[in-house]
Amino acid sequence: MMIWDQEKIKSFLPHREPFIFIDEILAIEGTQKIIAVKKIEDSEDYFKGHFPGNPIMPGVLIIEAMAQASVILFSLDRPHIATMRPDYYLGKVKAEFLAPAHPGDQLIIESNKVKFLDNAAITDTLAKINDRIVAKANLVFSIQRK
Amino acid sequence: MMNNIENEIREMVSIILEVPVEKLTPDVDFFKDLNVDSLKAIEIVAAFEKKYRIIVPEEDIPKIRNLGQLIEYTKNIKKS
Repeated sequence: MMIWDQEKIKSFLPHREPFIFIDEILAIEGTQKIIAVKKIEDSEDYFKGHFPGNPIMPGVLIIEAMAQASVILFSLDRPHIATMRPDYYLGKVKAEFLAPAHPGDQLIIESNKVKFLDNAAITDTLAKINDRIVAKANLVFSIQRK
Repeated sequence: MMNNIENEIREMVSIILEVPVEKLTPDVDFFKDLNVDSLKAIEIVAAFEKKYRIIVPEEDIPKIRNLGQLIEYTKNIKKS
């Protein structure tokens, strides 16, 4: 069940269409874990080229969705930093892709806090479709205040 | 026993920083000499916390500038 809609998500993320890859938040467990949803629509622009007649969500965009969920989790953990509207830079990704994601799929993204500091963060993330893990990634990102 | 811990820490830092262990002398400065940035620093802290099952307080992190200080920090944690 949705607990945040995209309007609320936008109050935490600097991203906007067409580069916002979180549609809903389903659950938040303190500042340890967040569960988000990306509904993969037929109309996504990148399907025109990836690939014609065989639409598959690019793995880098699954990583982007994981990173956006992680930014929200970081913002909940560090509101004093998030309110300064810092820049978030993905610095290192260790990922595995286990199955493709297609139009009509609902990507369930879990982001788990590993370590958060004021200027850097690490999360362990998963993406699932119908309870099957399709991707997992460890993300390291830096947070730079302007 | 402590030599084992020293070697463990040196090896862990060597892997994260991609620096040969022989270059990791106790007083080489992580930030000035090895160009450790916030990303590498948090990776070292996270690996250290996982290995020794401790939480490093955020205010302690800037005080640990070289391998010698990291080993000393570990010794103090083990004592307490």
